[in-house]
Amino acid sequence: MKDRIDKIVFGDNQFFGINHMSQEKAQQLAEKFFDITNIFKIYNIAIEAGIKGIMLNSNDRAKDICNFFRSDPGRYDHLNWYPSIPYPYKYANLVAEKGIMPAINEVMFKDNNASGIANMFFKGSQAVLSKDAIKMMQMLIDVEMKIFRNLNVKVVFLQNIITDLLLGYDIKIVFEEYCNYIERKYKALPGLITQNMPWLIGKLKEWKINNVVICTSFNKIGYLMSPNVESYIKASSFNKPEDYQIMAMSTLASGAIPPHEAYSFINNQNIQSVVFGASSAGHINETLKLIKI
Amino acid sequence: MLLIIKGMETKNKIKVAIIGAGRMGITHYSIINSHPDVLIDSVAEPSGIVSGMINKYLPVKTFDDYNELFEKAKPDAILVCTPPNLHYTIIKKACEKGIHVFVEKPFSANCKEAKELTALYSNLPLVNQVGYVNRFNDVFNKVKEFIDNNVIGKLVRFKSEMFSCTVTGRTENSGWRSSRTNGGGAVFEMASHAIDLVNFLFGKPEKVTGSSLNFIFSRDVEDAVSSTFLYNNGMTGTIYVNWSDTSYRKPTNKIEVFGLAGRIIADQLSLKIFLNADNKKYNLRQGWNTIYITDIFNPVPFYVRGNEFTSQLYHFVDCILGRENSNRCSFSDGLITHEIISEIFNDYEKNGKLK
Repeated sequence: MKDRIDKIVFGDNQFFGINHMSQEKAQQLAEKFFDITNIFKIYNIAIEAGIKGIMLNSNDRAKDICNFFRSDPGRYDHLNWYPSIPYPYKYANLVAEKGIMPAINEVMFKDNNASGIANMFFKGSQAVLSKDAIKMMQMLIDVEMKIFRNLNVKVVFLQNIITDLLLGYDIKIVFEEYCNYIERKYKALPGLITQNMPWLIGKLKEWKINNVVICTSFNKIGYLMSPNVESYIKASSFNKPEDYQIMAMSTLASGAIPPHEAYSFINNQNIQSVVFGASSAGHINETLKLIKI
Repeated sequence: MLLIIKGMETKNKIKVAIIGAGRMGITHYSIINSHPDVLIDSVAEPSGIVSGMINKYLPVKTFDDYNELFEKAKPDAILVCTPPNLHYTIIKKACEKGIHVFVEKPFSANCKEAKELTALYSNLPLVNQVGYVNRFNDVFNKVKEFIDNNVIGKLVRFKSEMFSCTVTGRTENSGWRSSRTNGGGAVFEMASHAIDLVNFLFGKPEKVTGSSLNFIFSRDVEDAVSSTFLYNNGMTGTIYVNWSDTSYRKPTNKIEVFGLAGRIIADQLSLKIFLNADNKKYNLRQGWNTIYITDIFNPVPFYVRGNEFTSQLYHFVDCILGRENSNRCSFSDGLITHEIISEIFNDYEKNGKLK
């Protein structure tokens, strides 16, 4: 199989004050990693422990993190990058404040200079644009992906809030065009993050869209797994990795499942990769020992 | 109407229309479209850019005007996701046409209209629901269960808070959001959730007092509000809501309840409960107990933005299909929340400003 993904990928939620179980824990983490050098320290520990793949969301701090890795190519050139785009809250807050189209406008043209052609295209006529959501999506992808320039991008993931929103609309063309664009422009594998893995796989099969990496919550208690854990086990057991490589996230259900118990479940599933986040050397090394997929 | 309901139960799908394809309209579209008994048939949206895009990519009819949609698409049910000042005329028309209605919060831009709509729907076999989504959150439902079952004893005091980083700088006036008469401002758009949570857990207060508003960044609407609620049984509570708080990554509700037998502190993701004595029925011990969302969540068939968003729309459908008898956030519930909001504004105008 071409382009096999890393079996273990290091995630980023812990760095950005994200915890799906407790706002208090989230706050503690945000405090710990306010100083970005603490983030770099943890990355170095993970890399020394053998991590070769890094997933990073295109949020406000991703730029500095990418600059750090670009600054020492000799040391970090071997890493595979798994960006996830976009940073949803940036859009959510802007949309709440300004409305959908002004928000998109601002993202594309205020802080970033998308290509001159895109700029002209957009400003020239919103009416033309309205007929081409695909073009707009491509321009937004380009804006987000600028952060990751010159890094070895293996997969570009679409965040679950967007994947699942589009999945609900049931429109093939957007998924098809997303995947084509990522392959063509970024020479990377298209990736989709979802909380509805069995549904998504069913749809991708129906639409004959293959060779996609699917990143999805996968844990023993079924947390953030719609419709339920049984459907996930079934969908993954019937899946051929040549069609869809599955990367499990939220394997500990934000800390609700003890690591040992969590991975003895995960190790028995037909999945190709695990993305995990940890904020100390102890947790990183423990997790690396426990994952045996 | 009964005939229609009967028809749906057998073969036909419920024909749903989305009225207003803004942020909530497009989210609700995706969620309810996953329901096997629902067919989204039409969308009303005045913006040519948005409706052009819907037309191109989605298999639905679009209309500039909801009146035309009602005439031509003849929906069984609508999701009203327009600016709040339009809710009244849309729902009134829907009522004439015998249409089930889910309306985003706030219910309406003023209390008088909310009252009239509630009265209109009260005697009809039509489902009516307001989008106060916290009523479908698993943690807040657990809090209600504890309160209703007397787990923390006689209630004395509560605090309902909500924070977000929605408005974090001075912006030019933009549409309905910068006008209270149109349903904009932190009280209608955000505090309504914290106030409805009070209504859901404790009911309507007898008196609203000590209300104050802060105009932090917005010129014509408030960005923060606090108020005190008094109850006949001696219970008192406060609310504090601020949508200009950059320390919050996403909107967060917090509720704290003090009772004679214990105390509860909860947000959307977890609940801490302190008890003076063990509670065997709920397997809670004396002292602090923590319950996380991971311990109590109910899975949903399709996830877009949180289990509660799916649960509330699937509940709406279940009510239409007669699978549920009573709606968990009907117009009459939304009306009470609206009445509390009105009292906060009245109290602020009378007592909340320095002369």
